[in-house]
Amino acid sequence: MRPFSRRPRHHPVPAGTAATKTIRPAASRDTHAHLRSLLLIAPALVTVGLLFLYPLGYSLVWAFRDETAGGWSFANFIKAYDFYSLDMLFTVVIVTLATLFIGVLSIAIGGYLTLGENRVAVAALRWLYRWPLFIPFVVAGQLMRTFLAKNGMMNNMLVGSGVLDPLSTTSFLDWRGIVITFVWKQTPFAALLVAGAMASLDRSTMEAARNLGAGRVRVLLEIVVPQVATTLMVALILSYVVMMSVLSVPLMINAQTPTMLTVDMAWRINSYGDYPVANALGFISYAMTAVIAWIYLRQGIREGGKPA
Amino acid sequence: MNGLPIRIENLDVSYGDVPVLHGIDLTVAPGEFIALLGASGCGKTTLLRALAGFIPVADGHIEVGGEPVGTLPPERRNMAMMFQSYALWPHMNAAQNIGYGLRLRRWPKARIAERVREMVALVGLEGLERRNVTRLSGGQRQRVALARALAIDPPILLLDEPLSNLDARIRQNMRHEVRSLQQRLGLTAILVTHDREEAMSMADRMVILDTGRIAQVGTPEEVYQRPDTAFVAAFMGAENAYPVNVRRANGAVFVSGPHVAGETRLPFAASLDERGVHCPAGNGGPMVARFRSEAAALVESARLPEDHLALAGRVTRQSYLGNVYRHSVRVGEHEFLVDHPRRIAADRTVAVCIPAGALNLFEPDPASDRLPSPHPHPYPSPVTGPDPVAADAAGGRAPSPPTLAKETRQ
Repeated sequence: MRPFSRRPRHHPVPAGTAATKTIRPAASRDTHAHLRSLLLIAPALVTVGLLFLYPLGYSLVWAFRDETAGGWSFANFIKAYDFYSLDMLFTVVIVTLATLFIGVLSIAIGGYLTLGENRVAVAALRWLYRWPLFIPFVVAGQLMRTFLAKNGMMNNMLVGSGVLDPLSTTSFLDWRGIVITFVWKQTPFAALLVAGAMASLDRSTMEAARNLGAGRVRVLLEIVVPQVATTLMVALILSYVVMMSVLSVPLMINAQTPTMLTVDMAWRINSYGDYPVANALGFISYAMTAVIAWIYLRQGIREGGKPA
Repeated sequence: MNGLPIRIENLDVSYGDVPVLHGIDLTVAPGEFIALLGASGCGKTTLLRALAGFIPVADGHIEVGGEPVGTLPPERRNMAMMFQSYALWPHMNAAQNIGYGLRLRRWPKARIAERVREMVALVGLEGLERRNVTRLSGGQRQRVALARALAIDPPILLLDEPLSNLDARIRQNMRHEVRSLQQRLGLTAILVTHDREEAMSMADRMVILDTGRIAQVGTPEEVYQRPDTAFVAAFMGAENAYPVNVRRANGAVFVSGPHVAGETRLPFAASLDERGVHCPAGNGGPMVARFRSEAAALVESARLPEDHLALAGRVTRQSYLGNVYRHSVRVGEHEFLVDHPRRIAADRTVAVCIPAGALNLFEPDPASDRLPSPHPHPYPSPVTGPDPVAADAAGGRAPSPPTLAKETRQ
């Protein structure tokens, strides 16, 4: 007779059946651990859920709500398209153009900080370029209004230095003003990330290229930029998303039509209380950023690594 | 392209306010292989980087093939450099890395491809051309770096410790490969290294640097056998130092010291071909004798070999190195490391016998603190009590300090 066959069946099985013996308490320990860790992150989860996911989901879903007819339809989107298709195009063009400029300028700034040989100029640039980071969009907008207007500081300077005559001055307070403001405000951010990535590169990779005969511009474009491409991408996508969502700058610099979607959304809500169309416009701008995010993610997967 | 000569004259280089190189003069013949050797921080890499144009020259003159290059940017100096970290570009594959210098020279694509194939065959990387360099082993990366440097057919090859990241076995092979490639292509090569074996096995001439100055230039034999200064001797392995009194007469050297029985007569060698004591400067008086662990022998019997300096001492411990036992021998205040084929037990009394040909005599250097020696005090501190070992050597009499004065000439 087996020594422990007399024990009742429901009794915990002792030695000999090591597997059951170790698994059971471990499993309950695991559940406890899971519960505890869930409890630990619960406040954060609730905050994200209530303050971010719920409003986002709500506005996305309610973009499809037809309040006059009741039920769900694309009516809001059709209306939004009828009224604001030009603004949609305008928004994409402005933000894309600004993103391209930001990319070029941040590479130039990061490149000079990394490869510049005039130590005074490098130090001065390093000190100067970050200032716009600390200025809010609304202040930047206000600043640019006085700077870019027909009788603004920029034209005054150009006239004063004899480059322009007073009659041929024009105001830059249109799409160009928005692009200039966005670039001015967002370039430091992208340059900060890009310059940081460049600074952490192995300097000998740049020296090796110069040693073989590459000038500094070639080193920047062929050796440095490809190595910081991921960081540059991240900086540009984040800038793109931020610019998509800025209301103050287009409102202050370019209040006429066409204008950017954020202005239209504010207009729908403030003047008409028209949340459904505003939601539809929000959905559309969300889709525009999602396209960029998708391109970025796809790039990351193609390169076989995780997106940085 | 064949190698070009290099002439460096009175070169000063500083990092900011800190001077690093002082008055460097060096002439390199076309096709010559020069090794810059020195301890960390001696300025050897700085000299190489100044030559390549990465560090501005504070003062002095650099000429390559008769043309001054001191103010040219690095990309216009036409030198190929191999970096310690290899500095391969991670966003390119092996072939792209190798062909980049040719692309910069606007070679047509077909010619570049052909040259890359040639280089790949030269360094033995066949089959790995399309592989990303981040997926190559250390030795393979090193070969890519070498191929990249050689692809542009440079007249001058600069090597910044290119072998230090390889494991010992591959390093041995690469030394021979780099050296034979350099000879085959006739390049002028300058190697920076802190490994004296590497320097000796690869170079035609070695340049020993000491805190930003050239301490000695010579063939490996000259530098190894006939060091100009105590620093060079210590750096080349003669780390055992012992203060002696020296008298020179009739082409011989008479050496005496507290643990030397009487005055030992040793032959003097005026050149590399002669066998005898190397004494580059000074005519006598207090000097420091330097010798290598492997050049000395331990003798237990009373019969001492001729033309040897014998120091009476006592074994304190020993370690096994594979081919020999390295013994630590105490001679008075000094501790020497001496190799011997057999293990000699601790506390045994022995004579440390140094053949005349392995003995280097130098004048005492007041700045001897920075000598790369494991024995921090090459000079005896005053003996405070009877020293049993010295007593043995002196035939049972306890020496009366200071004993050096007793045995000087006058």
